[in-house]
Amino acid sequence: MRKKKWITNKAKLRKALAIPALVLGIAASPVVGQVEGGELVLAQSANPPSLDAMTSSSETARNINMNIYEPLVAIDENVNPIPMLAKSIEPSEDLLTYVFPLRQGVLFHNGKEMTAEDVKASLERYREVGATRGMLDKVKEIEITGDYEVTFHMSEATPTFIEGFSSPRAPAVIIPAEEAAKPANEIEIIGTGPFKFVEFVPDDHVTLEKFADYVPNEDFDGPTGFGGKKTAYLDSAVYRIIPEAGARIAALEAGEVQWADQIPVPAAKRMSADENLNVYEARQWAFMTFIMNWNLPPTDDVNFRRAVLYAIEPEEVMAIATEGFYDLNHGWQYPGRTYNAGDIGKEIYESAHIDKAKEFLAMSDYDGEEFLILTDPNYAEHSRAAVVLAEQLKPIGINAVVKQLDWATVLKIRLTDEGWNGWTLMQGLEPFLGPYGIAAKMRGDQTHMRGTADVFEESYNRLITGKTVEDRQKAFAEIQTAIYDLVPQIKIGDVGRMQAGSARLKGFKPFRAPRLNDIWLED
Amino acid sequence: MTAEAGVPDISATRAWVARLKLGLGTAARHRSIQVGGVLFGFIVLLAIFADLIAPFDPNKNNFRALLSAPDAVNIFGTDAFGRDILSRVIHGTRLSLLVGLLVVVATGILGVIVGTFTGYVRWLDGPVMRVMDGLMAFPGILLAIALAAVLGPSVSNAALALTITFTPRTARIVRGSVLVLREMPYVEAAKACGASHARIVLKHILPNALPPLIVQLTFVFSVSILAEAVLSFMGVGPPPPTPSLGNIIAEGRSYIQEAPWVALMPGIAIAMTVLGLNIIGDGLRDTLDPRLRNL
Repeated sequence: MRKKKWITNKAKLRKALAIPALVLGIAASPVVGQVEGGELVLAQSANPPSLDAMTSSSETARNINMNIYEPLVAIDENVNPIPMLAKSIEPSEDLLTYVFPLRQGVLFHNGKEMTAEDVKASLERYREVGATRGMLDKVKEIEITGDYEVTFHMSEATPTFIEGFSSPRAPAVIIPAEEAAKPANEIEIIGTGPFKFVEFVPDDHVTLEKFADYVPNEDFDGPTGFGGKKTAYLDSAVYRIIPEAGARIAALEAGEVQWADQIPVPAAKRMSADENLNVYEARQWAFMTFIMNWNLPPTDDVNFRRAVLYAIEPEEVMAIATEGFYDLNHGWQYPGRTYNAGDIGKEIYESAHIDKAKEFLAMSDYDGEEFLILTDPNYAEHSRAAVVLAEQLKPIGINAVVKQLDWATVLKIRLTDEGWNGWTLMQGLEPFLGPYGIAAKMRGDQTHMRGTADVFEESYNRLITGKTVEDRQKAFAEIQTAIYDLVPQIKIGDVGRMQAGSARLKGFKPFRAPRLNDIWLED
Repeated sequence: MTAEAGVPDISATRAWVARLKLGLGTAARHRSIQVGGVLFGFIVLLAIFADLIAPFDPNKNNFRALLSAPDAVNIFGTDAFGRDILSRVIHGTRLSLLVGLLVVVATGILGVIVGTFTGYVRWLDGPVMRVMDGLMAFPGILLAIALAAVLGPSVSNAALALTITFTPRTARIVRGSVLVLREMPYVEAAKACGASHARIVLKHILPNALPPLIVQLTFVFSVSILAEAVLSFMGVGPPPPTPSLGNIIAEGRSYIQEAPWVALMPGIAIAMTVLGLNIIGDGLRDTLDPRLRNL
């Protein structure tokens, strides 16, 4: 329900980018009866690794950061890119230039007005510290072309650039230029969002409060996705860190918190009968994946990795890891999505092939050393999957050992070549955003698997520069083929997510992070 | 024990040993020790023969029987992996007892060495006991968690952490006994007869310091089992899928309303084990402490 056209040559761009027509629905229709004020207490399982939004792709950070910061381009409710701090997006005919006129009068939480200088500084910083800085690889230069305008000069036409740029995974948010000069994780937490940072007490809570001078985007009638016209009704929000699911549920049922994430399925079934609570169910929340470290024996050996792939029985892993809330899916895109690559890998995936697994193991250099499965208890799905995987690998002769550490430590270790061979990870945003996030983590210097192969780099380039959907589908099919051949990651299945909230909480709609805007607490 | 002035009663040592034997014999007939012994003995047998007794592989997953209520097949029900809780509790008990035993043995040896030296060698007493005091001042579980966090979660590291925690208390008890015993006339007599320090300590002092040590070690045993359960509950015990009573409870706490048996059954096992040990400890104290024996 937008008021104004935001892409000046939208028809041409749509044709070029093959972006699906915008579905102009908004997240929350205008409703009467919103209640101003009050404090919302949310419960999540782990600390945010960082509140420097650019540097973290962690869900626990995004849950908070998406309410503090805003990017130039956000996603709407249907995962289409929309201008947020940009007034519009104006690509050239040859897609070698993008002009971003900026909204005027937007204030940072420190009271300073946002200008083109802040935008350029922020995005230059993102090139250095951004957790998904590969999204700016094709941007040759960011030029200030006015007090309220920046222009991107591209090194080559990249039809999918705006889709990638709008990703909230580790969002390319805009912060004051003076903060942008600081190294990763050393900034003052200052954004332009409807809530501002108050305090972070690790292992206890993060507090935000309403930013009274927030400037909503009047180009929209209401909120949509992570963008649109946002309105803050709450005075403040407190994110309590409660690692244990039973404690989160108890806190919700006792009224100490009004929203809780990661509700165990058995509890969600019970809670759905409680009229004081609302249970929110998201079926295609994430991919359950098993990531291989390519730089440490024995997983540096492709035949060993293939042995692991063929030994896995996905149904058992998924049923236990998700408490029964799952779908079996071999694909690296959800069924029915544009870039779903069909049956590639399906035969390998559907069940364990023990003889084949033993064959590959025999062909490898494996000599009985420990196969370290890195996992964490903060996401119970991760640890349960790790335990089941270890038990499935032992019968073929793999000395699988579960290495369970807290989430923050796991995130540090997995960025090193030592101390882990396999890592259980739910990837939520990557598949949610389409093929680019998945493909991006297989190439470049920021791969999950600590290495890469030429086929991933080449296919990724064809994926993001392909001129037609068919070209890009073909490129993604090549990537899925290579995944089942070289085994950088193993797809285990699709995971659902249960959340729950107090019946007093109104206007809430599940999305990739809880949005504090346009929700309120009834008396 | 009496001694005429200038005539040391060397037979007193033998009398103490005889009293200890008598005490242990009396202990065997003590009602508390009998009750505790049956309870604890049953659990020890379960632990020793866990592989034969447990009806299923404790790590065998069954995704078709997640969180099944107790029934004829799975008497204690199943957990969130579909694993048989009875089998996990039996194997978890073995691990708990193993940790307890390791801690008792290590604490006993270290406590005796430190306590004897500090009690017998006067100049060592001050500095060593101040170190022990420092360790005692540090919260035991916190120290154990810190050590397990640094060294990594495993059975041996949990035992090491608990040994460090409990050694100072044991050493202090042994030291107290040695301080008293070294002034005893029969020790003076042994010295007068030219006995070496090693002989005096090994033959005359240590045997007499045993009764309070035995009582203390039963306490260490039961507290170690509890502490191991706490460490495992907090995730710094043995890594999954190794069953320990603490980590089974930890896994069950998310389902306390929907599947209470997951946490309840290992909780009962811990309670029975510790209760058995405590009853034995009380009985031993009653029989070995002469001040309580005639009450």
